[in-house]
Amino acid sequence: MASLPTMRPLGCLRSLLRTREAMQPNLNCRWISTAYSKRPERVPLPQTSPNNSFLRFPSDSNRKMVTPKPVKIYPAPPSARKACKDPIAKVTESQLQVLDPKGERKALFDYRRNPRSVKPGDIIRVTFKNGDPFNGVVLSIRLRGIDTSVLLRNELTRVAVEMSVKVFSPNVQGVEIVERAKRKPRRARLYYMRSRKHDRRSVENVVAAYVRQKKAFMSGRRQ
Amino acid sequence: MPPRLSGKLSQLPTFSLGGYLNQFEVQTRNFGIKSLNTPKPSRFNVGPGLPILESTSTAALLRKANSLPLRTGAIGIKKGMTAVYDPETGKRTACTVLQLDRVEVVSHKTRQKHGYWAVQVGAGWKHPKNVTKAMLGHFSSQGLSPKRHIFEFRVKDESGLLPVGASIQANWFQEGQFVDARSNSKGKGFAGVMKRHGFHGQDRSHGVSLTHRSMGSSGQGQGGGSRVYPGKKMAGNMGNHQNTVQNLKILKVDAEAGIVVVSGAVSGPKGCTVRIQDAIKKPWPRIEAEALPADATA
Repeated sequence: MASLPTMRPLGCLRSLLRTREAMQPNLNCRWISTAYSKRPERVPLPQTSPNNSFLRFPSDSNRKMVTPKPVKIYPAPPSARKACKDPIAKVTESQLQVLDPKGERKALFDYRRNPRSVKPGDIIRVTFKNGDPFNGVVLSIRLRGIDTSVLLRNELTRVAVEMSVKVFSPNVQGVEIVERAKRKPRRARLYYMRSRKHDRRSVENVVAAYVRQKKAFMSGRRQ
Repeated sequence: MPPRLSGKLSQLPTFSLGGYLNQFEVQTRNFGIKSLNTPKPSRFNVGPGLPILESTSTAALLRKANSLPLRTGAIGIKKGMTAVYDPETGKRTACTVLQLDRVEVVSHKTRQKHGYWAVQVGAGWKHPKNVTKAMLGHFSSQGLSPKRHIFEFRVKDESGLLPVGASIQANWFQEGQFVDARSNSKGKGFAGVMKRHGFHGQDRSHGVSLTHRSMGSSGQGQGGGSRVYPGKKMAGNMGNHQNTVQNLKILKVDAEAGIVVVSGAVSGPKGCTVRIQDAIKKPWPRIEAEALPADATA
């Protein structure tokens, strides 16, 4: 800044320098400009060319030949998915036709729809094709199509026993309702019956009385 | 010991009549033209009548031949699990229900062109709007509708190539035969080493702080090269990788509904694609004439 005052007198030379710049443009500078240039004239196609050589030159008529044909889309064959929307239900149904043709077993455990079905809290007796029958209080009914099962609780030799029985198993010969629940339980799963306070303990004497009664009834009917 | 000529005779210029005659026996007419590429013996021990080299693709295919099924498989959709009872024995078998939906042969992979024998099979249907033009052309050139799923099934040789356009029904499989089911397992996301690899983790206490479920050390220091070896089990993405369950028995087949019921579990969530093919560890099933699919209409 200190040199400025000394430069001031030379300020008159600036205009002179400017004219010099105008005369000799800076060659290092780059310019962007849109310069007008004449449109090139069309070169006519050679007249003395072979017949098919016109295909090499782009023209509107030739371009039409290049455009790709639209891809043909074929219709889909009939769908198996539409024919059978729920394959699991179909497999279950075909199983039930063999295992439970009359639908009695299904109705016996369909506790949500059938009022006469087995309900949680009932005492039932399940007889098997091979082995001893099992008696117990129904703790829960698990409705899962072919895998429907009941959880039974009893006491054998003073040991609490629980058994889950697959209802549609061919090993299950028969299911009898021995005693209905005295009061309708407020729950669907009576797991609280495992606690000491609510435990039903052994149901053997109830079942034994039922079997005796049944035997007498059967023998009486026979005579 | 051959007789030796005396010193004087051996010094005489050798003259053999035999060599002179041989020149007349070999009648080669060259006309002054010589081949630039004269036939040379190969550096490699190959050629007709020689055993196939172990490191060739032909030998690789031969090695693989015993573990490749004779016929193609099918693409199924996992619908869920249920159980099947045997009414006689009362035995319950857990099973998986698969559905085959519009399964058709799309193209072939051949030894000459691709290096192996395989059948490309497509299943389902996809809106043509959502299919790339290249794939659209691939389907329409075979006269097929666009497919949602495409997979290849390798077969042993040319006889296993089902004609293109043939549809594979559920009765392609026979009840009682065994299959291998290949599908992607359920994705578990980014999982730690305890969940992903079953590491034991670290103590709850005894001075352990904030690293109760971490993997601990990833290897030795100087003694082990001061590096982590490739394949070190670490935390990362778990599941959603291909898994093959072998030797599943076909329990039930329903061609109209496209249902195939296989014993046991198959990897993956409901609705995933499952590739089923004849089990490679069981004898190949006997193919009945009725099971063969109808040829393509195109």
